[in-house]
Amino acid sequence: MLTYLLRRLLLMIPTLLGITVLVFSVMAMSPGGISAQTLIGGMDMKPQEKQALLDYYNKRYGLDQPAPVQYLRWLNNVSPIGFVSDSQGQRGEFSFSKGMDLGTSFQYGRPVSDILAERIPITLLLNLVTLPFTYIIAIMVGMKAATQRGSAFDLGAGMSMLALWSIPTMLAGVLLLGFFANVQYFQWFPTAGISSREAQDMPFLPYWDEGGFVRGFLLDRIWHLILPVICLSYGGFAALTKLTRTSILENLHADYARTARAKGLAENDVLWKHVFRNSLLPLITVSAGLLPSLLAGSLIVENIFSINGMGQLAVEAVKGRDRELVLSITWISGFLTLIGYLIADFCYTLADPRVSYD
Amino acid sequence: MQTPSTTRDWILYSLLSLTIVLIVLAMYQIDRQWLKLSEMQAALSEQAKDMRELRGAISSGALAASASTNSTANGEVAQAFQRAYAASRQPDYAQGDWSVDAFFTNLKTITPLVSSDAYASNVQSYVLESLITRNPDTLEWEGLVAKDWTISEDGLVITFRMREDVSFSDGKPLTADDVVFSFNFIMTDAIQAPRERAYLEKIKSVTANGKYEVVFTFKEPYFEALSLAGGIGIMPKHFYEPYLKEPQKFNESKGLLLGSGPYRLNDPKNWTPDKGNIELVRNERYWGDVQPSYHRILWKIIQNDSARLTTFRNGDIDSYSARPVEYQELKKDPQIQAKSQNFEYMPPVVGYSWIGWNQERGGKPTRFADKRVRQAMTYLTDVSRVIKDVFLDYAEPAVSPFSKTSKQHDAALQPYQADLEKAKALLKDAGYQDKNGDGVLEDKAGAPFEFKLTYFQANEDTKRMVLLLKDLYARAGVKLIPTPQEWPVMLENLDKKDFDAITLGWTSGIETDLYQMFHSSQAVSKGDNYVSYNNPALDKLIDDARRTVDEGKRMPLWQQAEHILYEDQPYTFLMRRKSLLFVDKRIHNLQMTKLGLNFGSLPLENYVPLAQQKYTQ
Repeated sequence: MLTYLLRRLLLMIPTLLGITVLVFSVMAMSPGGISAQTLIGGMDMKPQEKQALLDYYNKRYGLDQPAPVQYLRWLNNVSPIGFVSDSQGQRGEFSFSKGMDLGTSFQYGRPVSDILAERIPITLLLNLVTLPFTYIIAIMVGMKAATQRGSAFDLGAGMSMLALWSIPTMLAGVLLLGFFANVQYFQWFPTAGISSREAQDMPFLPYWDEGGFVRGFLLDRIWHLILPVICLSYGGFAALTKLTRTSILENLHADYARTARAKGLAENDVLWKHVFRNSLLPLITVSAGLLPSLLAGSLIVENIFSINGMGQLAVEAVKGRDRELVLSITWISGFLTLIGYLIADFCYTLADPRVSYD
Repeated sequence: MQTPSTTRDWILYSLLSLTIVLIVLAMYQIDRQWLKLSEMQAALSEQAKDMRELRGAISSGALAASASTNSTANGEVAQAFQRAYAASRQPDYAQGDWSVDAFFTNLKTITPLVSSDAYASNVQSYVLESLITRNPDTLEWEGLVAKDWTISEDGLVITFRMREDVSFSDGKPLTADDVVFSFNFIMTDAIQAPRERAYLEKIKSVTANGKYEVVFTFKEPYFEALSLAGGIGIMPKHFYEPYLKEPQKFNESKGLLLGSGPYRLNDPKNWTPDKGNIELVRNERYWGDVQPSYHRILWKIIQNDSARLTTFRNGDIDSYSARPVEYQELKKDPQIQAKSQNFEYMPPVVGYSWIGWNQERGGKPTRFADKRVRQAMTYLTDVSRVIKDVFLDYAEPAVSPFSKTSKQHDAALQPYQADLEKAKALLKDAGYQDKNGDGVLEDKAGAPFEFKLTYFQANEDTKRMVLLLKDLYARAGVKLIPTPQEWPVMLENLDKKDFDAITLGWTSGIETDLYQMFHSSQAVSKGDNYVSYNNPALDKLIDDARRTVDEGKRMPLWQQAEHILYEDQPYTFLMRRKSLLFVDKRIHNLQMTKLGLNFGSLPLENYVPLAQQKYTQ
């Protein structure tokens, strides 16, 4: 098992390198290309002012050098071992402990790691709330549908899940906002952001005082998350429910389930102790993709609800040709995808003793 | 075989996890209480310090002495505060409430110089002040931090006499040293302010002449010298000076903002974009003759259009600016009508849109190098139809880069009226004829008259306009090929001058400089004379005007330049668009000035009457 893990980990290095070469070349070749020009948005700038900015950026980010040199420099910076470079960008001696540096974002003028540290917790929070919610509902509905195959519930659930799946997120988000946050209908939820201005002055937990009930920071946050979480999760129900349902159905009719019933086991025990565990395998396969999605964020939902997460950041970075940021984001999500598959493979061994990689 | 877990085990597990969760929550709670407490302590100690200073001033008699010379005590209000003073005399005037608005995107930083977007400079305008400000009624400059100023005969030296009662929001007095420091700080290479430096390079030196007098010396006469010198945001020396030692820290900072303005950041060093909004509190030490009315100024970040409208409907933001079609619909919406006042106006600084005809490509003149062709294209461009069909009449045709209300504009010039026959005649004159009868004109060599019109793909209104133009041009046998492009791609093509024709907009100032777009020296690569327009007569007029400091002599020069542009049509000038704005009814004293609506203009003139205030604190 250990050698297998080690082999998999080492194989990641060429894969990750390949990803960065690919992304770097695409960025370099894209029309409008990566040059200081793209950093200069305003049309109302005077030429000498523009030239001054161009020179400044070219010098600061080394954009005036050939692309392969720029790539090697970037690679050296992100790799944990390599040449130490000083503040002028001059190459120093080789070091095994120089640490990783994701570089400076062109658009923000700040270290990429700072920006990621600001955005990742927000996306993580959204997804950590959404995922269990999606899974629990999907598994519950899927199991009930499987055990009551052909019943009204099975039919209704199948249809409504499919219906939900086919509603575009964009539309759902705007409708939710329009009905559940609008003073003309039900103004139950806030319209934007993940926390309200007043919450900054509130204590963390809700409480009652002479003025009445005070939400507190925690409840305020939850209150802000409800609409985005609904928007993020409903699309996932359909696929997961169907998957659970099929998988459980298959196992319910398997020989071992019949044997268990023949031994006199209660139907509930058959379902939970035997069938459920075996039905987990396909769910684990799906969940391999979860880890990167935890950080990826959703552009649409984030835009509708004005949440500054990773989805927005990725799109902004690509639009602004912010190479350092794009590279870091693809690199991290590539890494997480690979790790995700590794974890999924590992989970197989836990769920099914027959699987072994030795 | 594992033992099955019993109900008792489950209860035990749940209790245990519940306890852990509660402990974690309690820890968070206590942590926040500590933060709040330390904030309160900081505020208290600041108040105590003020009290001590006040006591000292009373006992030394300094306060009594200054009270007798205080201008407000004598009933005199400085010119810049006259309008705000008049507002505060209104019967329903009250202090209090917040001003709440929305930004469309998250701000990257609000540190002055480092920030580049309009939102950040909007925030900074409440915090930083400059020596002079423009009067919204007369459009003349008047003193803010400066009492008055003198300009030398040759226009090279400007001396500002400063007020002596101005202090920064942390209580330290503002002196000439701070102005000198601000200039030197910007001019420091390690500080990320290349664009400000490019402007200020015209200044030779800034020196303090005593504590409250500052002298700007210019390298050459320049018509915008006064606004250049007087417009520098004054940065407190004691606050920003440490960053000269660690410029990187300044360049990467998110919110380092302190000034003498009517509002201040609660914590001038630690604002971060992940807060999700920007909040300014009233500067209790504001020196101005009239104190601002709102307790706080808050900007929320709302990116989505429909979310922004819903938020405005809910009354959670104070204004909403609409696009033409939307504006017309919302004007009929009873819910919006009941809660808001709407404004259609055109500030003099509003930008104009244009179609630029590229006159040179790959070193060779294009068909647009012929003046007759450009004039014909202008006659074909039915601007009034574009305004009516696409912008629903919320725009006015542009004659030249100068606004109709500007002194630079010659009122005798009228916009070109659409005229198909004239256009056809001009094109025929230039040698274009439909020889093969396919409906498209051909030049003498037989090549069809077709061209690509490049435009920014994301703008819905521009897209509709280009399609309309395509039909209009086709009537004269000119084939337009719409070419939408992404922003970075478009910028690259502009720099390489790789386009046939392009439509874009320029922003204007109160006085618009033509140098950047139309001087032949700017036709080089990366210059802003994208269309390679070259006219020596115009060059000379522009140069002369820029060197003339005397406004009376300068304006005729601009008007002559305007005549040349009108004749040559290097651009087909399209239109200036109106601002369409809804503002919450509780905001009072909204007036139209020559600078546009006074909503949020400084010194603050808007207020909320006591009965309509919604935010306390």
